[in-house]
Amino acid sequence: MTMSTSSLIIIGLLAAVLLIWFISIFNSLVALRVRVQNAWSDIDVQLKRRHDLIPNLVGAVQGYMAHERSTLEAVTQARTRAVASTGASVADRAQAESALSGALSNLFAVAENYPQLRAVESIQLLQEQLTSTENRIAFARQFYNDEVMKFNTAQATFPRNLFAGIFGFSPATMFAAEDAERANVKVAI
Amino acid sequence: MATAASKIPFAGPRDRESFFEAQRRNRRATWRLSVVSVLATVVMGIPLALTITPLLYAAALIIADVVSIWTPLPPSFWQHANDLARYGMAVLDWITQGKAANPQALALGAAALLLPGAILSVGLWLGVNALFRRAGVGGALLALKAREPNPSDLKELQLSDVVQEMAIAAGLPAPRIMLIDAPAANAAAIGTSPNDARIVVSRGLLEQLNRDELEGALAHLVASIGNGDLRIAFRVTSVFETCGLLVAVINAPFGSRSRRTLWRILRYGLFGKKDTEASSQEAAAVAALLTHSAGLETDDIDDVFGANSSKKSILRSIRNFLLFPIFFTNMAIKLSLWFFGFTMLEPSMALLWRKRKYLADASAVQLTRNPDGLAEALRKLNSARGPIPGGSWASHLFLVSPAGSDRMNDPKANAANQQMLAQMWAASASADTAQPSSPAPSPANARLPFITSEIIATSQAAISGDQISIARMNAFRQAAATALGRPVDEMPTLADIAAAQHGDKAAMQRLAQFTKKMNAGGSDDGDAKPAADNSSSNFAGFFPSLKRRLKRLDRMGAHVELESDSGKTWIVVAVLSILLGPFALLAAALLLLLIGIMMLSSLAFLAVWMAFIHQLFVMFLHH
Repeated sequence: MTMSTSSLIIIGLLAAVLLIWFISIFNSLVALRVRVQNAWSDIDVQLKRRHDLIPNLVGAVQGYMAHERSTLEAVTQARTRAVASTGASVADRAQAESALSGALSNLFAVAENYPQLRAVESIQLLQEQLTSTENRIAFARQFYNDEVMKFNTAQATFPRNLFAGIFGFSPATMFAAEDAERANVKVAI
Repeated sequence: MATAASKIPFAGPRDRESFFEAQRRNRRATWRLSVVSVLATVVMGIPLALTITPLLYAAALIIADVVSIWTPLPPSFWQHANDLARYGMAVLDWITQGKAANPQALALGAAALLLPGAILSVGLWLGVNALFRRAGVGGALLALKAREPNPSDLKELQLSDVVQEMAIAAGLPAPRIMLIDAPAANAAAIGTSPNDARIVVSRGLLEQLNRDELEGALAHLVASIGNGDLRIAFRVTSVFETCGLLVAVINAPFGSRSRRTLWRILRYGLFGKKDTEASSQEAAAVAALLTHSAGLETDDIDDVFGANSSKKSILRSIRNFLLFPIFFTNMAIKLSLWFFGFTMLEPSMALLWRKRKYLADASAVQLTRNPDGLAEALRKLNSARGPIPGGSWASHLFLVSPAGSDRMNDPKANAANQQMLAQMWAASASADTAQPSSPAPSPANARLPFITSEIIATSQAAISGDQISIARMNAFRQAAATALGRPVDEMPTLADIAAAQHGDKAAMQRLAQFTKKMNAGGSDDGDAKPAADNSSSNFAGFFPSLKRRLKRLDRMGAHVELESDSGKTWIVVAVLSILLGPFALLAAALLLLLIGIMMLSSLAFLAVWMAFIHQLFVMFLHH
């Protein structure tokens, strides 16, 4: 083939530029996906923290809420089920965790009828810790969704959308609020 | 105040601008402003370099002369020196007399005039960066007595929890919390990077804000850490510190103050273990010293040349004569630093910092998804804020400006002051067993005229000698001291009041100062050294006004009541700028001219001086 050296050099440079471009696209998508995975595991950490706090709360309020055994038992059972589902699929876990959230909100609603609980400092502190845990779960989910949004946007916009499929990236799913959570708020009378 | 009544449940989307858009807008603005700031720094650097270069050449020449006493330098060295001087003269002739010269010579001359000074300045800046990078910003706040939040106190537990929650929402490691038992409500983020950032919170903040507002405030701080504001703050202060270092270096041969500063820097750089808190405090103290020396206060040089020196001898006059060019150069440097800093550098950096604050606000809304919390927190802090004592150096890092200058006339603040007065009076009554304790205070503004007249009547009676009234006034004084957190001796005494009534000027002044401090909410400006004032008064412009922040939060969906902007302010501003504009421009032009003249004269002085000293060397040592 009779190609002059200058055109060879140009082709070589173009190829190098394209290679660098591909590498940077791949790396950026990988970085975003890793952030998504990290965000997912953060949610895990907060769920476990909630599991650990609940026995303390149940033990503390048992003395004051002697007549609410059904509510307390519901909480304890929901917690056991949630802990048991730690290794199960994402959907099962989400369902068990949202059932636990429902039982807890029932408990807090019922605790409104016991004003003397507000004076007990240890219960206040525990309640603050549980509220904070619920918040942390919510914020971890929010962060996860924000990262998923960034990842999906990066994937879908030009020029990365041309190559995302080739590299094997697919859009991640958001952690939507389960319908079970919304439906589960029963007030025990 | 967004009470429950005014939080109208709104069915549809209320935000006219999503926080993502707000963030994008502010990020773009900061890019533009960073470029502007860099340009301003470069422009400021040109006269600096022009002034410093001759000094460097003079020093090099003297060193060359001294060296050639032992080992004569090759003639090519002197030849190059001559060439450089010729190029420099060509440029100067071109500027002052318009004498034409070929572009190459001009370029070389410009390089010869600018490069040495520029290299020194940039080198110093890099040195300052490297030196203080570990310590980061806000090290002065580490000197305060801070503690970790106590998990068995509900509010402090909430504080730790909220910080953790915000860190999770932002995807950052949770910053350490430093809690300070000060009544003033404020908070700041300090450190170098998200990995070793700390949040300083005052106990007063915890008392004032509920959980939602605390969340908003801390979201702002965590968001600003995540956005890299700490690094930007560091760069901003490092420019000012470099100017100070330059001035200190020039002053070093003359006075002990600069030498001590330089020695402290050296000791910190070589021996300080960078990771301890003590070294961060040392770094902050050194940084404060440097920024001080960049201000317009007198330096060691001025002391050396001072007219108030008692020993006037021939030797001193000769020395003053010999060293006069350096004194002149120092003056030129300070003047140009002040001028360019004031007109270009500080405004652009202040604008940049304000945009970062808006960005942090928008990011906070992204984290909490609740703009109301932050809006209400800002409102409350604006009335109840104050400096965290000892932290004035780091004032630009705080959530709201601790200086009292840009506060809105907030009726709630006045009510708070009146409430405090009523409580102090009631406390003094209950402390005095001879009188029955006053009934429970109704709203302070209703009782205030009654209370004021009661106070006046009691003080009159006390002055004329009534024992019960004297006791009551003393108790009142004690209660006031406790409420304001000040030592009792600072309160005005009955003697002061009596003397002021008779026209004693000193007593009246003390009373006026006390009233001013009371109106400022007991803010402690006694500990703001002039150095800190130089920077903190500048940094006051680094905060956006509450009105603007609330307006932006409103666009992101907060339910705030905004004061309607009466168009009158704009008319006043426009008229003032039209009237004063030409004068300001004239003043600026004159100052520039003055700086130019000073630079040229310092160049001329130095040239003559150099020639003179070189001749001395040649005559006495090289014959």
